[in-house]
Amino acid sequence: MKNSNQPMMKERFYPVRHIVLLALAIFWLIPIVWLLLCSFSTSNSMSISHFFPEKLSLIQYKNLLFKTDAANQFPRWMLNTFLIAAFNCLISTFFVLQVAYAMSKMRFRARKGLMNIGMILGLFPGFLSMIAVYFIMKTFNLTNSHIGMIIVYSASSGMGYLIAKGFFDTIPNSMCEAAKIDGASQNSIFFRIIIPMSKPIIVYTSISAFLAPWVDFIFAKIMLNSGIAKDWTVALGLYGMLDRSRKNLYFGQFCAGGVLVSIPISILFVVMQKFYVEGITSGSAKG
Amino acid sequence: MKGKFKQFLGSIGHYFSDFGAAVVHGDWSVKLSLVFMGAGYIRRRKYLYGVFLLAIEVFFILLAATFIAPNLAKFGTLGTVKAEMHFDDVLFTNVWNDFDNSFKILLYSIISLVAILIFALIWISSIKGAYSLQKMDEQGEKPPTIRDDISSAMNEKYYKTLLAVPVGGIVLFTIIPLIVMICIAFTSYDEQHMPPAALFTWVGWANFKQLFTTSLTSTFGYSFGKILRWTLVWAVLATFTNYFGGIMLAMLINNKRTRWKKMWRTCFIIAMAVPQFVTLLLVRNFFADQGIVNTICSNIGLTSLLKKIGLVPAYLNYIPFLTNPNWAKFMIIMINIWVGVPYLLLIATGILMNIPQDLYEAATIDGANSFQQFRKITMPYMLFVTGPYLINSVVQNINNFNVIYLLTNNVFETSDQLLANSHARETDLLVTWLFRLTNEYYNYKMASVIGIMVFVVCTVITLVAFNFVIRGNKEEGMQL
Amino acid sequence: MKKISAILVVLCIALTCAFAQGGKEAPAAAATAAPKETIKLTVWVGDLYTEVTEKIIEKFKAAYPDETFEITVGIESESTCKDTVLTDPEAAADVYTFADDQLLALVNAAAIQPATVDADKVKTENGEGAVNAAIVDGQLYAYPMSASNGYFMYYDKSFFTEDDVKSLNTMAVKAAKAGKKVGMQFGADGGWYLYSFFKGAGLDMKINDDGMTNSCEWASKGGEAVAKGILDLVATGGFYADSTSNLVSAAKDGTVVALVDGTWDANPIMEAYKDNYACCKLPTFSVSGKDVQMASFAGYKLIGVNPFSKNVGWAMRFASFMTSEESQVARFESNGDGPANIKAAASASVASNPAIAALATQSQFATVQRVGGNYWTPAATLGTILSQGNPEKTALSDLLSTAVAGITAPVV
Repeated sequence: MKNSNQPMMKERFYPVRHIVLLALAIFWLIPIVWLLLCSFSTSNSMSISHFFPEKLSLIQYKNLLFKTDAANQFPRWMLNTFLIAAFNCLISTFFVLQVAYAMSKMRFRARKGLMNIGMILGLFPGFLSMIAVYFIMKTFNLTNSHIGMIIVYSASSGMGYLIAKGFFDTIPNSMCEAAKIDGASQNSIFFRIIIPMSKPIIVYTSISAFLAPWVDFIFAKIMLNSGIAKDWTVALGLYGMLDRSRKNLYFGQFCAGGVLVSIPISILFVVMQKFYVEGITSGSAKG
Repeated sequence: MKGKFKQFLGSIGHYFSDFGAAVVHGDWSVKLSLVFMGAGYIRRRKYLYGVFLLAIEVFFILLAATFIAPNLAKFGTLGTVKAEMHFDDVLFTNVWNDFDNSFKILLYSIISLVAILIFALIWISSIKGAYSLQKMDEQGEKPPTIRDDISSAMNEKYYKTLLAVPVGGIVLFTIIPLIVMICIAFTSYDEQHMPPAALFTWVGWANFKQLFTTSLTSTFGYSFGKILRWTLVWAVLATFTNYFGGIMLAMLINNKRTRWKKMWRTCFIIAMAVPQFVTLLLVRNFFADQGIVNTICSNIGLTSLLKKIGLVPAYLNYIPFLTNPNWAKFMIIMINIWVGVPYLLLIATGILMNIPQDLYEAATIDGANSFQQFRKITMPYMLFVTGPYLINSVVQNINNFNVIYLLTNNVFETSDQLLANSHARETDLLVTWLFRLTNEYYNYKMASVIGIMVFVVCTVITLVAFNFVIRGNKEEGMQL
Repeated sequence: MKKISAILVVLCIALTCAFAQGGKEAPAAAATAAPKETIKLTVWVGDLYTEVTEKIIEKFKAAYPDETFEITVGIESESTCKDTVLTDPEAAADVYTFADDQLLALVNAAAIQPATVDADKVKTENGEGAVNAAIVDGQLYAYPMSASNGYFMYYDKSFFTEDDVKSLNTMAVKAAKAGKKVGMQFGADGGWYLYSFFKGAGLDMKINDDGMTNSCEWASKGGEAVAKGILDLVATGGFYADSTSNLVSAAKDGTVVALVDGTWDANPIMEAYKDNYACCKLPTFSVSGKDVQMASFAGYKLIGVNPFSKNVGWAMRFASFMTSEESQVARFESNGDGPANIKAAASASVASNPAIAALATQSQFATVQRVGGNYWTPAATLGTILSQGNPEKTALSDLLSTAVAGITAPVV
């Protein structure tokens, strides 16, 4: 392919690249389409040899939403997860912004030391300490509690400050200096100047924090161990539906649940795409 | 590096010499503060601080008596009283002796040590504070009022205000658990020594030795070497396939000749929005030995073709996508591309838009073709901008649990008997092996050792990468 | 200063909570013994058993009208119950149901209460095998709930005659000719099934007296003959190894015409074979030209009581009630579980159930499962290699001795 950068070339249509893109898009969407098809199928068990279900129906959604039983409390799970996610999103975003601002815009003796410690901590596998976290939470009587889940997800979120710091680094220091000369305190610089300028990074941080509880099944499984389905989060509940003894009974509902969870997340992503991209790139890009 | 280390030691020295000076030159009230925290503050009529400090001290003493001392006393043995119980017919329930729980002793001891450390810091800074008040008094300066302190907390000390709670959270939920787990690597905590019913104790470096020995009955050494190799291969392949895949796709979509950019991007983003555990579990069924893909492959004759060229063992009538070690590794990398490229697409899209267009225009005028432009402009720019991100993702991929766990758990069974004897599999990463050891075999001690090895590997990679590959980008790196 | 004090405040709150907890623990046990206090129990059952358990709870409450109960039903699959209980026994349910293979691990971790309430009644009312499965070192630890957790053969009787199903080799050859398969689970979790071949040939594998490690006779001439027998079966092309859930799906497609599985899959298999649904004991298979009856692990579901429960006594009473004749019949009617209770098992409706009848015939070749944890992974790997026809052509003696080394490895 010859390159030419004249704007008028826009009018021409290049079939090859569009066919390649179409093929890639199909490749990426096949599992999603299969998820949709399975969710509309009438069969409860995992059909491993047909792509298209024999009959389409809404029965799986109906069962999932209205026929709750001991193993299926989907509406409750959605509510639980939403609450946990919302609080986690709020707390984590604040923590991240706080740490990022302190590390980016302020200079103090322990700064580099703290940043190095943060980095070293990031090199340990998180699972390792899971069981210790569980016993700490148990000491405070916070296992099997949604407040406990919020704490577990958000308490250490300050460690994920690097991308936000990268973003703050791109805000010129002169702006803060000018505000300081005008008599603004650091506090008001943070809240009145920096935060309003940081929409992309706030969106990025809060989306990431909001999503975590929807997809985590490992920590949730350890922390919510009472066996009572009403306490679970969506990820834990859906994951449990594919448990060995259940998967020939709940596979259709699992797919329907997967679709229902994905819809709000997709909308969030598509709508916030621009900010998300800006946030992640300005944070990781330090040109 | 050396200079910085010296500087670090120097600042510690200063910290204590300042404290010494405060003790030596302080008046009676400062010296009294050594015993009764806050005395110095009260003498300078800063009653609120004084009382607050005194309250902290009282609380700490109570804590020391009831919590710190009893736990630390058992820290050396991790408990000696084994749990015993008998069923009491009158109470109609079990009566337990006052037994020791090794894990709790360990956990509470670590919390105690951290509490002591924090108290010591407060103690030292309270004495320094009292001394500085004394000096101000002697020089006739007015000591700061509470209003001044608040204003300072909002200005030059604002970082403390900001960091207090997040750092507190990290200490309690990351640092303390981590120290506990590191300690466990030096104990006998496994299925035979599981609290509450049994006790475990310190065993020194025995577990580390076990990780590096191989005999027919204990094959940890063999498994560790094999799994470490695959972990590294995986981390590098997973990172770079995603990275270049994402950049290529972003360039393809953002090219001027491509129409409906937004639609294409949305297609890929939707794939990102479905939770990983849902898609991966589905894909796993997709590629099952008797799954759809296999049905299709055998219908179109691909299976027999692969059999002919020897990529599929002759004794199978399906393609062992996730059940043969080599196939499974290949599939895991491919599926990981599916999972990861959309993220990279987003990142790369943003960065590509930031590349100054005049660079390309100048290159075009100079007659560079698109490949040359890619090699000379796009890639260097991307690498420069995303260098730290790349290293970070290698580390993240070493710890990438989801993809491999969800694709191979309950599906893949190793046919390497030496691996099997230490509960490992060819497709395992160190973290998935670690997870299986704790979750199914309660072998916490070996899991901790493996966790520490993961840390060592990650540290080496990070240090090497930051020191040799991207010297320029120091801000994100280790700054010793 | 600010930072430090803030951390301290956080820590103080934390530690105070720790105290509050620590202080509470000791007197709590005594307090609950006071009469007429609400008795709180949680019970874990498999998710398919919640409805019938709720019914049993109502009957239990009616049986003790003087007491007030608050009994919560939680879900924990019997097959993985141990994993959750052992992670933190103190947080586990007061009463939990589990498969008998987990009993040893639970006893070793002291996470199960010796069953003292109604022990004699349990021993006399339930079948011998079930009672033995609940006993470790002469002590009854659990209440037998069902006797149908073992495996046997399902087949399509339009394809196989009653004579065919006597020999696995005959079946595999006949299936191969028609392009069909006889299925059995090897590979992941396949150790449970693999045992039937070796034990059938008289080669034992069982736990040692220490309750942790295994002894195993497979690394021998006899073991090699058995392995050769399995390889011969695989070579017929009609014998097929996969997970049981995939086998059931394949049965629905019509490719698998017979499979080794347990009662938990009876309903989907009934749907697959419809009128041609049939069950029988495990067949024989050919070892060095001789037909050998396949053995099996007898499987039982048991109910255990958590010794850390606040109400151990009532928990035992409840566990005993959950395993009464009436409750076992209720569970047979709702879920098709074969009762361990002798009277319940003898009732007409139970005896006429083909799956349970097949299991009863198989029971004479079945042994109680007493296996240390190191068995499973090496055995699964051995099964995987054999089911692939030993592709590396490893000498059978090496294959078996490595597997046995893993199986009998000391627990470290």
